[in-house]
Amino acid sequence: MVTVSTRVDGDPSTRHGAEKRRKSPLGSRWTPYLFAAPAVIYLVVFQAFPLIQELRFSFTRTSLYTPNDNVWVGLANYLSVIGSSTFHQTVQVTIVYVVVCVVGAVGVGLGTALLLNGEFRGRGVARALMAIPWAAPAVAVALIATWMLNAQYGVVNRLLAAVGLAVPGGLILESPGRALPAILVTTIWELFPFCSVVMLAALQGVPQEVREAATMDGAGPWWSFRVVTWPVIRPTVDLLVLLMTIWSIRRFELIWLMTQGGPVGTTNTLVIDLYSTGFQLFDLGKAAAIGMVGLVVSLVVVIAGRFVSRRAEQEVSR
Amino acid sequence: MRKNPIGTTARVVGVLVALGLAVFPLYWMFVTSLTSDHNLFGNHVQLLPDLSRIGVYAHALVSQDVVRWLRNSLIIAAGTCLLSIGLAVPVGYALSRFSFRGKGSVALGLFLTQMLPEALLVVPLFAFFRTLGLIDSLPGLILADTAFVLPIVAFILKGAIDGIPRELEEAARVDGCRPLDVLTRINLPLIAPSVAAGAVIAFFSGWNEYVFAVTFVSDPSKQPASVGVASFIGELSTPTQTLMAVALMYTLPAVVFYLIAQRHVVAGMTAGGVKG
Repeated sequence: MVTVSTRVDGDPSTRHGAEKRRKSPLGSRWTPYLFAAPAVIYLVVFQAFPLIQELRFSFTRTSLYTPNDNVWVGLANYLSVIGSSTFHQTVQVTIVYVVVCVVGAVGVGLGTALLLNGEFRGRGVARALMAIPWAAPAVAVALIATWMLNAQYGVVNRLLAAVGLAVPGGLILESPGRALPAILVTTIWELFPFCSVVMLAALQGVPQEVREAATMDGAGPWWSFRVVTWPVIRPTVDLLVLLMTIWSIRRFELIWLMTQGGPVGTTNTLVIDLYSTGFQLFDLGKAAAIGMVGLVVSLVVVIAGRFVSRRAEQEVSR
Repeated sequence: MRKNPIGTTARVVGVLVALGLAVFPLYWMFVTSLTSDHNLFGNHVQLLPDLSRIGVYAHALVSQDVVRWLRNSLIIAAGTCLLSIGLAVPVGYALSRFSFRGKGSVALGLFLTQMLPEALLVVPLFAFFRTLGLIDSLPGLILADTAFVLPIVAFILKGAIDGIPRELEEAARVDGCRPLDVLTRINLPLIAPSVAAGAVIAFFSGWNEYVFAVTFVSDPSKQPASVGVASFIGELSTPTQTLMAVALMYTLPAVVFYLIAQRHVVAGMTAGGVKG
């Protein structure tokens, strides 16, 4: 299911193809462009054009009330963003959020995939149920999480109290120390099933005979995992880390609806900061600058990540 | 492994714990919707749903808002689904079957757009849509939502077409079939499961979408369920049971359809990430 090798496309100028192409007027060298054009034009209009617009905003003073009335201010927005201490906190929160989400989601995903791998009764049902959190809409997840974490009536507080771990005042989402962990747990809960399902598919590629041979040779479960399983699923793990990184940097609804970045900015990720700067402080120029800085950071992270994973692959194949 | 009873027991316990954690929040949504005020706000924790209170669902549906929310969500989702499939099928075909100048850039562009957060583009899109008169309109939301799900659907369909033997369509071309006919008559029927998976993803990205809906729509009659359910958070006037009932009615379709299409959805999404 998860193919990592890049398939080499057939050469279009084979004798065979060239003959046919001459016959039909539509089957010319323009054919692929005609097929690709609608989607490409669509994305240029609704993604590239707004992105350029946003880039332009970042060099202007623009209010949400008058988005077409911009005053060019050069790098002022960037300087004020980078110089502010709240932005440093935002970057820190974002890094913690992304790293913990990625490690947590991929880790729990791998753990549950190993649990669900192999033969047992009810496996199909178990796999299906495990995917539920991933399918639930973020808005609904935020609603139920907020209710479960409610200070007075939330089931989490009641259970914590029952085992003697009661939180003072029951404050979780309202507490600077506990809001981010609570949001992290919720996010990982939402993300891990996807990792689990993808990892399960990858585990089907692990040669069972080799595992059994390793066990017979006296390899413990950990050793046989490291030597036999890990090399097979490694590319999938890399891919999941990449996807989870992108998704975590982008994540908005869950955090916004649960805490709006508070209390005192402890859950204020770049995307939340970008939105609240634009829609609560009405400062579109600064919001755009935050967004651009975030975009550059995530591009660097993703490119570096791919580079590292390619290098690792080469090392392995050598 | 099979000979080790301790390992087997540990696995069973592990699976049950993991399943419990995965399912509990939605279960709790259900239980809360069927719990009396007395138990909800008293000291006693009710762990099982009181099925005699099932009328709360009918009651929630009678409220005009909920039906309208779900209807608007349905329109947005269906529109996003149709538009995404319509745009993704040809581009997926072009990426899979042809080699042309700029192909790499198209694939890279599709991959990179997945990195753009909705919150980044919401302002320029708002300004753009206002000049087009697409504010407070469901078609406007369909256009915005499609832009964000189109790349994923395109990769799913490209991956599916990659899996069909080329010989089939080459035979058809020898018989004088034009490229568009080759796509619609030969390839599409063969990739029907992947088209369905792409359709499910696109449908529910429209169904779930919140940022554009809450920003672009101020007319209550145009609000979808995502905005409606979100408005419940921190709200005190609506009974908690009703909130949970509505949220569950909004959640269940997504869960059920995702479960059905799960395998193809995952295959397509990972293919997009790897080959982009």
